[in-house]
Amino acid sequence: MPINVPRAIIRGVNLEMIEGLGKQLLFFDGGMGTLLQARGLQAGEIPETWNILHPEKIKQIHREYLLAGCDIVKANTFGANCFKCKGTDYDVDTLVSAGIKLVKEAISDVKADASQEKRKIYTALDIGSLGKLLKPLGEIEFSAAYDAFKEIVISGDKAGADLILLETLSDSYEIKAAVLAAKENSSLPVIVTMIFDENGKLLTGGDVASITAMLEGLGADAIGFNCGLGPKQMEKLLPELTACCSIPIVINPNAGLPAVVNGKTVYNVEPPEFAQSVKRLVEMGASVVGGCCGTTPAHIEALVKACKGMPVIQASDKNLTVVSSYNHAVYFSERPLIIGERINPTGKSKFKQALREHDMEYIYKEGLSQEENGAHILDVNVGLPEIDEPGLMEEAVMGIQAIIDLPLQIDTSNTEAMERGLRCYNGKPMLNSVNGKRESMESVFPIAKKYGAVVVCLCLDENGIPETVDGRIAIAEKIIRTAQEYGIPKKNLVMDALVLTISTGQDNAKITLDTLRRIRYELGLHTVLGVSNISFGLPERSRINTAFFTMAMNNGLSAGIVNPLSEPMMSAYYSFNALIGVDEQCMEYIEKCSQSSEKTKKTDNSGAAGTADNAMTLEDAIVKGLSESAYQATTALLEQNTESLTIINDKLIPALDIVGKGFEEKRMFLPQLLMSADAAKASFEAIKNTLSKQGRQSKSKAKIVIATVKGDIHDIGKNIVKTLLENYGFDMLDLGKDVPPETILAAVKEHNVKLVGLSALMTTTVVSMEETIKLIRENVPDCKVMVGGAVLTQEYADMIGADFYSKDAMGSVRYANELYEAGKI
Amino acid sequence: MGYQGKIPDESVCRMTDEVLDELLNAIEPKNIYMRFACNVSDEKVSLYDMEYKKKYLTATSRDLSVNMAQCQQAVLMAATLGIGADKLLNRYELINMAKASIAQACGAECIEAYCNIIQEEIREWAGKEKMYLRPRFSAGYGDLGLDTQRDIFNVLECTKRIGLTLTQSVLMYPTKSVTAFIGLTTNARGCYSRNADKCAACDNKGCEFRND
Repeated sequence: MPINVPRAIIRGVNLEMIEGLGKQLLFFDGGMGTLLQARGLQAGEIPETWNILHPEKIKQIHREYLLAGCDIVKANTFGANCFKCKGTDYDVDTLVSAGIKLVKEAISDVKADASQEKRKIYTALDIGSLGKLLKPLGEIEFSAAYDAFKEIVISGDKAGADLILLETLSDSYEIKAAVLAAKENSSLPVIVTMIFDENGKLLTGGDVASITAMLEGLGADAIGFNCGLGPKQMEKLLPELTACCSIPIVINPNAGLPAVVNGKTVYNVEPPEFAQSVKRLVEMGASVVGGCCGTTPAHIEALVKACKGMPVIQASDKNLTVVSSYNHAVYFSERPLIIGERINPTGKSKFKQALREHDMEYIYKEGLSQEENGAHILDVNVGLPEIDEPGLMEEAVMGIQAIIDLPLQIDTSNTEAMERGLRCYNGKPMLNSVNGKRESMESVFPIAKKYGAVVVCLCLDENGIPETVDGRIAIAEKIIRTAQEYGIPKKNLVMDALVLTISTGQDNAKITLDTLRRIRYELGLHTVLGVSNISFGLPERSRINTAFFTMAMNNGLSAGIVNPLSEPMMSAYYSFNALIGVDEQCMEYIEKCSQSSEKTKKTDNSGAAGTADNAMTLEDAIVKGLSESAYQATTALLEQNTESLTIINDKLIPALDIVGKGFEEKRMFLPQLLMSADAAKASFEAIKNTLSKQGRQSKSKAKIVIATVKGDIHDIGKNIVKTLLENYGFDMLDLGKDVPPETILAAVKEHNVKLVGLSALMTTTVVSMEETIKLIRENVPDCKVMVGGAVLTQEYADMIGADFYSKDAMGSVRYANELYEAGKI
Repeated sequence: MGYQGKIPDESVCRMTDEVLDELLNAIEPKNIYMRFACNVSDEKVSLYDMEYKKKYLTATSRDLSVNMAQCQQAVLMAATLGIGADKLLNRYELINMAKASIAQACGAECIEAYCNIIQEEIREWAGKEKMYLRPRFSAGYGDLGLDTQRDIFNVLECTKRIGLTLTQSVLMYPTKSVTAFIGLTTNARGCYSRNADKCAACDNKGCEFRND
């Protein structure tokens, strides 16, 4: 059975709420914080504690809003989360249950009056931001945020809330955690309102289109704006939302932009003006309205008076096929898209090796280079039989989205990897793939529906790939029908007509192109193809690929899964766009042409166009910090059959020593030291490539664990040290930042490591450093610990029991080398 | 970057220009500040509304008290370059450590410059009321504990207003961010100048980056 049965059916009590939502104008209440302050709430006091300490005052505010005419009352539970409760005498459940109860009591108080008895009034469990930024850019795990929201949702649902309002959120990742927690732990309707700034951006950078795509995918019942802005500013943003949103729109503005007068934050829009401004928002498409900071029962009363009975514009399905990253949406349209295919081990021995060695950096770099070369979406496939694919998929998705802005296509046939990848993905994902086999559809569609993915559908089934166009179309139709049974609309399906090489069947291209055309123009679906499959087994494949890519686009291909680093393919792409008139004034085509001619001129980061000297020695290249030249010089040496060890010991290390000495004598400075380190890295890359071709692996001196200690989030110093030690041949196990002592100890034990590098940048976190050293001493007495970081001094290092204090990155290299030569590590 | 006034070589200068371009594209600076009446004693600074009816915050610190001696009012400010700067840093650390170190320095310089712009804005309106500004003073300077950050975040609603968050260990995300007290006084003594003040308040005399 499809897992997402409309909630209204499950829970009769909310049926009416769902029917009214978006069809008739509903009113939220207004602000709570400013009213509480006026009633004596002190700065720093947690407002939700008043549910216990001053219940009458809270109830009175609810009553005033009810008498002003609102339909939905927000319980005083906004900040009742585990992080904020820590400083109080209460737990989450106590504050949330009490908050819901107070609304219910206020409702029955008001309904006791016969004239009010028939009113339909709803209690909203109000959930605000946790006030924490999520990893990998912030402090807490996605799952920790999910758990925090889950706790509130369970309490609120149990206490009898009618709906969940997630509000004042401004980070798409936190929003996703909150929506999943709400949907998985209750059957209540979920409304999400967010803070955008005047440029239409969330505080973490997302735009209206990207967040709308994600939330519709996750099954939010209504979405919109609250807080941050007044009604006038929201009026400017609303068209962006109505253009892409297919569900009801909720708007709870502040009473204008906050201004500070005599040390107090005040909101200047008075009730009559507020009501008129919000009325315009209703005319433009909002169907649930109320207020946020600075609004009072008087504002809501004026609003209800001005708008009651107004018809609403019912949200229509915009029928957009869209995926999104945390900050932007990518639409399928007349203009084809490029899906980068390079994060995939199939047929790539180096990529396979990187996966086996857990070399995530390799994967991330593949992503970055595709982004730079014009990909719109990145396919992510990390499947190898011998690895933990679900774990690696999650890690890869998290890591890629921390540094790359493109939407991702989760590519796997492992359903657990699929679910883990989709769950931790920050946006509306693409999923590759489902096919016409019953088993495939039964396992993939429920997951796709839950996370709102756009699914790539392959036109094959139990009988294989049909050899006729009609056969493939029949499968496409079957997939569409089945998807609809799971509640997945056509707009969330992208059909792959499938490409078989022309080397095994001369009609193969024609069948694919005909299928493509019919899917796009008869079935009305967007399409995708793994283009380069067409040339398997043929020489000079890019010639065929390029021609076929152009033909496919001309026959209705919406997105090509291709290699964006292939110049001919990208040329075909930009030329096609210019030719069919989707590249305005050929601007993009012209820009790409000038970029590629610049690229051929510029051969190195020396920037001196055309002067890169092929004869430059490796030593020179490293001293001058020229990565490209270092790579070339190393390759040249290897081609002359110089042993890699000779290159490292006789050329690379002496060159690094020159720079290191210059740095220590203050003749050279950190950026130069690091440019040389990057050049050395490029040289190692060349060596590694050659060794891997020969089926050999490079040897390292010794393994060193390195980490920024618990509580500290500064890691550039640690990363610099890591880079330099890698240059000198050490195998670095980098545990990251904010690492608890126990984790460091566990790594030391597991890998039998004899040297640990710890970094701390704040006086307050040196304490964690001391704890870590103590723990290592107690458990692994022969393991050495070196420390560094801005606040440390030799005295300080001695005091906390470190073996070595490194005043800069070169110091750590010297120390590690000494230990290595003495055979101690 | 530790050059201590020397001019870096051409390749570093060129790389710095590139990094700065990308950084300026990536950042979305935001700020919030509020004005208070204040009461400064030997080792305590308290902030009130202008009628002294409600107390917003008390910071215990001898150094802050010295900085704000004779101040009748104070501004509490928070500023951030936004999460884009952190994202760019992460990216550089992966592909180019030299750029990462330069971006780190540029980011620090950008947030300082941004604070200076805000400070100019404050100086403009304060000047009209014949008030002068004391040097910015942040939690972590001298003996002003980092814990003060929790109160500053509460009062300014930093998370909701500018997307700034505080970790358990009282550090800020996004990382390129500043919160500070700025004392306002009718006494012209000790008008702010730039980094010299920040360095003057710091005990690390051996610091390579020291500016005085």
